Amino acid sequence: MSEALRFEGRRVAVEPGDTVASALYRAGVRTFTRSLKYHRRRGLFCMTGDCPNCSLNVDGDPGVRACTTDARDGQVVLRESGWPSAEHDLLHVTDRLHRFLPVGFYSKTFIRPRFVWGLAERVIRRATGVGRLPAGRPAGAKPARAVHVDLLVVGGGVAGLAAAAEAAAAGSRVVLVEERRLGATVWDPRALARIQALAQEATAAGVRILERHTAVGVYEGPFVPVVGPDEVLHIEAAHVIAATGAVEAHAVFPGNDLPGVFLSRGAALLGVRHGIGPGRRAVVVTVTDEGRASAEALRTTGVEVLIHDGPVIAAEGSGRVRAVIIETPSCRERITCDTLVLSLGWAPRDALLRMGADQEVAGAGEVVIPGCSLEEAEASGRRAANGQDEAPSDVPTVPVADDGYVCLCEDVSLHDLEQAWDEGWRSSEILKRYTTATMGPCQGAVCGRLLAAFAGARADAVATAGARTTARPPARPLPLEDLASGVDESIERRTSLHDRHLELGARMERSGSWSRPTSFGDIEQEIGSVRHRAGLLDVGTLGKFLVAGRDAAELMDRVFPVRVRDLTPGRSRYLVALDEAGYVIDDGLLAALDHGRFYLCSTSGGAPAMEAWLRDWIDRWDLHVHLLDQTAQVGAILLAGPDARRILERLTDDDVSAEALPHMRHAEIIVADVPCRALRVGFVGEVGFELHHDRSRGPELYDALLEAGRPEGSQPFGLGALDVLRLEKAHLYLGQDTLPDDHPAKLGLDWAVAMEKPDFIGKPALERMGALPLERTLVGLRIEGEPRRGVPLLAGDRVVGRTTSCARSEAARGTIALGWVRTVDGSFPTELVAGDARAVVVPTPFYDPEGARLRA
Amino acid sequence: MLEITRTLVGVVAASAAARALDGLVVPGRAFACRAADDELLLLCAPPVTDEVAREVATRLAALDPDALVIDTTDGWAAISVVGSDARGSFGLLSPLELPDAGFLQGEVVHVPAKVVAGDDRVLILVPSIWEAHLHDRAAKALGHTGPLEAHPWAVPTS
Repeated sequence: MSEALRFEGRRVAVEPGDTVASALYRAGVRTFTRSLKYHRRRGLFCMTGDCPNCSLNVDGDPGVRACTTDARDGQVVLRESGWPSAEHDLLHVTDRLHRFLPVGFYSKTFIRPRFVWGLAERVIRRATGVGRLPAGRPAGAKPARAVHVDLLVVGGGVAGLAAAAEAAAAGSRVVLVEERRLGATVWDPRALARIQALAQEATAAGVRILERHTAVGVYEGPFVPVVGPDEVLHIEAAHVIAATGAVEAHAVFPGNDLPGVFLSRGAALLGVRHGIGPGRRAVVVTVTDEGRASAEALRTTGVEVLIHDGPVIAAEGSGRVRAVIIETPSCRERITCDTLVLSLGWAPRDALLRMGADQEVAGAGEVVIPGCSLEEAEASGRRAANGQDEAPSDVPTVPVADDGYVCLCEDVSLHDLEQAWDEGWRSSEILKRYTTATMGPCQGAVCGRLLAAFAGARADAVATAGARTTARPPARPLPLEDLASGVDESIERRTSLHDRHLELGARMERSGSWSRPTSFGDIEQEIGSVRHRAGLLDVGTLGKFLVAGRDAAELMDRVFPVRVRDLTPGRSRYLVALDEAGYVIDDGLLAALDHGRFYLCSTSGGAPAMEAWLRDWIDRWDLHVHLLDQTAQVGAILLAGPDARRILERLTDDDVSAEALPHMRHAEIIVADVPCRALRVGFVGEVGFELHHDRSRGPELYDALLEAGRPEGSQPFGLGALDVLRLEKAHLYLGQDTLPDDHPAKLGLDWAVAMEKPDFIGKPALERMGALPLERTLVGLRIEGEPRRGVPLLAGDRVVGRTTSCARSEAARGTIALGWVRTVDGSFPTELVAGDARAVVVPTPFYDPEGARLRA
Repeated sequence: MLEITRTLVGVVAASAAARALDGLVVPGRAFACRAADDELLLLCAPPVTDEVAREVATRLAALDPDALVIDTTDGWAAISVVGSDARGSFGLLSPLELPDAGFLQGEVVHVPAKVVAGDDRVLILVPSIWEAHLHDRAAKALGHTGPLEAHPWAVPTS
C-alpha cells in the first residue's frame, strides 16, 4: 500500500520527495490557511518557508510550514484557522468589516472598562487561528550541545558550499547548516548539479554538513543557536558566513494574496520538482532571467504560460485567481487565468547578516548579490571564505500599486499603512509597532523592505524614517520548547546531610539556592526541644573562608568595623560587613586562628558576594592574603540547648566546659572521632556549639550527635523553628529584616562597630550619618493578634512602617515581631496598629535579655 | 562507547606568590592545574593526598614563607567521561572549548567547574555542594542510567 498522510480525516497520497504542501496541493487543496485578521483565503506562495501561508498543524505541532516539511506516511495534518473550518469560514465576514477593524485596532478598542480587554483578548486570539500549543509535552526535551568551530556557514546553496569547501581546504574547522536537505528548494537542474558537486568537494575537505538544521540568530561571540531535528546546537564560531540566499520580491497590488498567486521559484518547484502544475493557465510577470527560465520550465509541466513584464495592476477572483490586469505599454490588459507567477526582483534573506553587524559575520551569494548567477554565487562564497567581505548590493524597490497586502502574516494592507501614517506614526520602526507589520512569523523576510520603502518614500519623512527595522532573533520560526533546550530550571546546592534529612522525614525548602529542611515534623516541638533540651541544625550552608597570609589581619582590620587587633587565637567576634556608604551588606563571625590566620563565616546567601568583596579589596590594596572559600569543603552542625554541653561531652575527650570554651570562643576538638572546629555561638539564644568539620565526615558526626542526645530527647530542627528561635532573641535575617540602605545604627547594631578604629570601609560615611538624627529604626513589637509578616504599622491613621518578622512565641508568651518605624514629629511612636491589631514597641531581645542562657 | 564514573580524586590547593608557584617542582604523583596566578590545584590519587600536600607545603615554604597549602578534597565532586566520543559529548555539558589536553575552568552543567581533558577522557570537578546536580545532569545528558560507579583517579601519563 502506498504511503499517505491524514489530512482532516481524509487520506492524502504521498509521493517520494513530497513535502506536506506538495502532497496536499496534488490532492486539490488550495486554501491552506485563513489570514489572521480578515480570514482571507491563503494558498501556496513562496514554497521556501519564507511566507506564513502554509502554516499547518502537523502531528500536533502548530504553525508548521507545510512547504518545508517532508511528508511521510501516517502524518496527521490539520488546518488551524477558520471557523467552523478553513474551507467554509464564517469569520470571513471580518473581511467586509475593515472600517470597524482599523489599523491600531488593539490600541483603540476595549480600553475601558479594563476587564473587557482580558475577555476580548481571549476571543480575538481564538479567532486568529494561530494554533494551540501542544499540552503535556516536556519543554526543552532536546539536548543542547556546544560546538566550537573556526567557521560556521549558514545555508547549503552554491555560495555556502563553496565557502565551506574553500575554508576547510585551507585547514579551518567548518560546520555548514542547511535548514532543509541540500538542494531541496532548488528547481533548476543545473544549480542542483552544482550543489551536489560542491557538497562532495566540501565533504572531502572535512566540512561537517548538517541538513535540517536552522540557524535562528546571531549573538555576541559570534554565537549562533542552531535548531536541529534532535538537538539544539550552540555554535561558537570565530567567523560566520551567511549564505542564506534571497526570496523573490513580494509585490503589492489588489488581490496579491489570492490563492493562485505564486512567486516564480515556488511555482517552478511545484512543477519541476514535484510534477504538479500550479494551475492550467498561468500569467508569468517577470523582470528577471530566472523568472523567464522558470516560466519555460512550467510549460514543460503542461501549464499554458503567458509571459509579461509589465506591472501587475490587480489580481481578480473570489477564493482564487480568475484573472489579472497587466499594464502594457499601450493599455491595461485583463487576462483570464488561474495562476499568477511573479518574478519582480529579490529580497535577500539578510536577517542573520544584519544581526551580526558588529560581529565576524560576512555574506555570500544572493544575500549580497541578489539574483546572481551560479558562477557569481560560487565566486562570492570563495571570496567570503578568504576574508574578502562583500558589501550587500542595492536592491531595487518593486513598484507598488494603490492597494494590496504588504504584510501577509499580520494582514496589514497598504491602506492600513497610509492610515497609520496619517495618524502620525511616521517611521518604519513605529509603523511596525503600531500596525504590527513585519512582526509575524516571517519576521519581515517578505515585507520588511516594503515597509521601509513605504516610509522612506513619504515626502515629509525624516531621513531615518525609511530605515529597515532592526533584525532580531529568531530569524526563522522555531518551536517554543527549543528555546528551553539546555536550560536547567533548578540548580540546587546541598549539604552533606541532605540525604540524612530526607531519611528523617524532613520537609525541604529552597532557601536561596540551598535545599534546607523546614521542619522534621512539628515546629513547636522542635522549638521546645532547643529551649528545654537540645536541638541539631545543619548550618553547612554558611559561607566559610580561611584567610591567611602575612596581611590577613590587616585585611580584616581595614575591611570590617570589628576590632581585630586584639582578637587573639581562640577568640571569635560577631561582625557586620559594610560597604563604602556605611550600609550593612552582610554579617557573620570572625574567628582568630593560629599563625595569623582567620576563619570567617558569612551568611549562607552572602558567601559568593563576600568572597568577591574581599578579593576586590585584596587586589585594590595589593595585600599578601590567601583567601580560600571552604563553604563546599567544610560542613557545620549547630548543637544548641541547655543540654548541649552534656551531649557533646559524651562524644569528646576535650574540655568543652564553660570555663574552657566560653561563649564566643572556639577550639579544635575531636567529636565522635571527627576533627571539628567548635565555635561557641548563640544565634538561637541557648548554649550553642557550631561543629565545623570536613564535609565527608558530616553524616557520621550527625548520626553520633543524634544518638548521643537521645537520652535527653534532643532532636533535629529546621528553618521553621530557627525563624522563631532567632526572633525571640531579636537576631536579624539580613534581607528580610533589613533594607539595602541600612547602616548599623538603624538596626541597633552600632555596638558591633568600633568607631575608635582609625579606619575601616564605611567609617567616613558612618561619621557623616552619625551627625544626623535617625529617621527610621528597627524595633521590637508585641502584637495583640495573630502573627502576620509584612503588614503596615500605623500611628493614628498614618503608615509609619511595616513588620519584617513576626511569630507567636511560647517563650515570650505572645505574638512578637520586628518592624520598621519612622519618626513622627521628631520621635518614634511606641503605640501602633499592625494591620488591625494593637502593637506596642518593646525592648529586645524578647527572650533571655541578659543572655545568661547562651553564656552558660 | 561512553563511560561515566564518579571519580575519587585528591585535591590539594596551594596559594602562594605567583613567582613561587612558577618555580614549584610539582610532585610526580600530582597533576598541576593553575587556577589563578596565585592559586594552584594539585590533583592526585586519594591515598597520596596527604603526602602530596606535605611535599608541596615543604617545597613552597622555601619559595614563599607565607604560602598556604590545604587538602581541599572534601570541597570537590568529580566525574570522568571516558570513551572515543568523550570529547564530543562534553559539548552536551558545557559551552567550554576543550584543549587537546590539559586543564581549563569555566561552567559545566551551569556551575563553576575545573576540567582536565585528555585524548579519550574528560575529568570534571565541581564544588561538592553540586555533587548531586553534576551526577544527575551528566547522566541525563549522556544517556547514563543507574547509579555511577566510583573509581579512583590516576594522574595522566602523557
